[in-house]
Formats: sequence, C-alpha cells, structure tokens
Amino acid sequence: MATTTATIDITSADLGISLNASTNLSKTGASTGLEIMDAGYGEVTVAHGGKALLEASQVAGDRDTSNYFYLSNKETDETYYLIVKLHDTIVGRLSAGDWMFMPWNQGDADAEISITATNGTCAYEYAVFKSAYTLVDRT
Amino acid sequence: MATITANITLNTDITNHSISESMTMKKLGSTSGLDNATGIALKKFTSTSAVAVIEQDEVTDSKASKVYMRNIGSSSEDFFYVAINASAAAATTVETIGRLYGGDWMLIPYEGATNLTVTPSIANMTLEYGLFYE
Repeated sequence: MATTTATIDITSADLGISLNASTNLSKTGASTGLEIMDAGYGEVTVAHGGKALLEASQVAGDRDTSNYFYLSNKETDETYYLIVKLHDTIVGRLSAGDWMFMPWNQGDADAEISITATNGTCAYEYAVFKSAYTLVDRT
Repeated sequence: MATITANITLNTDITNHSISESMTMKKLGSTSGLDNATGIALKKFTSTSAVAVIEQDEVTDSKASKVYMRNIGSSSEDFFYVAINASAAAATTVETIGRLYGGDWMLIPYEGATNLTVTPSIANMTLEYGLFYE
C-alpha cells in the first residue's frame, strides 16, 4: 500500500493566522492509500485558448470518489496567470507562483479540468493522485 | 499590505517525486499581497442540508481570492461535498469540486461568481474554512 501525505501550512503574522494540517490520501471509504500518481510539466500559451489538462473520462467507473488534483503556475511574472475551470465553471485564477490542491469529483465525463493562459506562455506543474485508471481504446 | 504565506508538501512513496511549494498570496496581476482574510472559522453542520459557506458577494469577481477548507473529522467514510453552486453540493451538481473525507483539506483560487456550497454526508460534522481576498 502506498502512502501519500498532503501537508499545508498557512501563516500571516499581519493577520494573526497560523494553521497546519496534514492528511493521507486514501481510497474512497477506506484507509488504504491511493496507488496511482500522474504528474508532469507543460506550457500553455494565450494562442492555445482553453486546454483540457485532464479528462474525467480517464477514471470512468471510479468517478465521484477519491481523486486529488494539484496545480502550480511556475511563472514569475505576476501578469501571467492561469484561469482554471471545471468543465464550464471557472474555479479561479492562479497567479504566477501560486499553487492549488483539491479533491476532484469527476461527477460526469465532462468534468475535465482545463486551463487558459492570460498572457504569453505559462509553464505549469500538475499532479493527480487516484485509485483507478481506465485505459482508452487502442486505435 | 499583508503577507499571507501558504506552503504545500506532497510526500509520496508511489514515486520518488515529491512536491514542495510555497506561495505568497498576491492581488491579481500585482506584487502586492492580499489584504483581507475572514480568519479561520469552524462550522458544525447539525443536519445534512447544504449550506453556502462562502457567498459570492463576499469578494469581487475575477480576482485572486483563495479559499481553504478542511474536514476536521477523522472518518474515512464520512465526507463533505464541496461545489461551486448557489445552494447545492452533491454527486452530480454542476459543478461539484469533490469530496473532503476526514482530515482532507483543499486550497483553491476562488472566482467569486458563484457560492461555494458544502453538504455533509451525515449530521454533526465540522468544517474548518477560511477566505483570503483582495
């Protein structure tokens, strides 16, 4: 059994915030760890428009369960940010140097995660942790 | 200008590739830090009814807002659905983000155009959450 631990800390002396949390990423309804990690780097440009980073259909049969998504905008120019969508809904805007981490429902085959660059070329890093993987049909 | 720092570490033995990143929350397209936070709050759900925990009118749309949420429970079976939806969060809600099981947390950018709604799978679960915004 694999073990994947996600830890966060958020601090702000100015606003009096200090928290730390940690969780082991597990299969649905169990304490068994997730066994698949899909990770990579890429670049997306304004000219690309919206691009599907991850297709929900890759996890057919195991949707709506324990999948976790991480994304980091690797740019340093603050005017370069990524618009992150779940299907047609904007989750938010990921500025240069920002990261996000969330569960990923994949409630239907259209619930893909897409990203759109707002300026120039945006480099990104992503990772998905999951328990099942449905291979696509050969051509 | 405030300084708010968020660090993530993803340690895994699936591969040798672990992730560690730090970010300082900034205004969109700016080097200035976010000025506002709601603080970290706790909400106990006494029923399984959906509740809009973050309401869209709390922030300006299309900025660099961020939302943190954590299921402070320890159950591997009980969870919160979290959705970008005015009033619902369920398996097929448009658009459900996912489930937070016991101990799970998330930190996401927040567009602010629609509420973030949460539904617990059973009564008497507690959610920890916070909003950071321009």
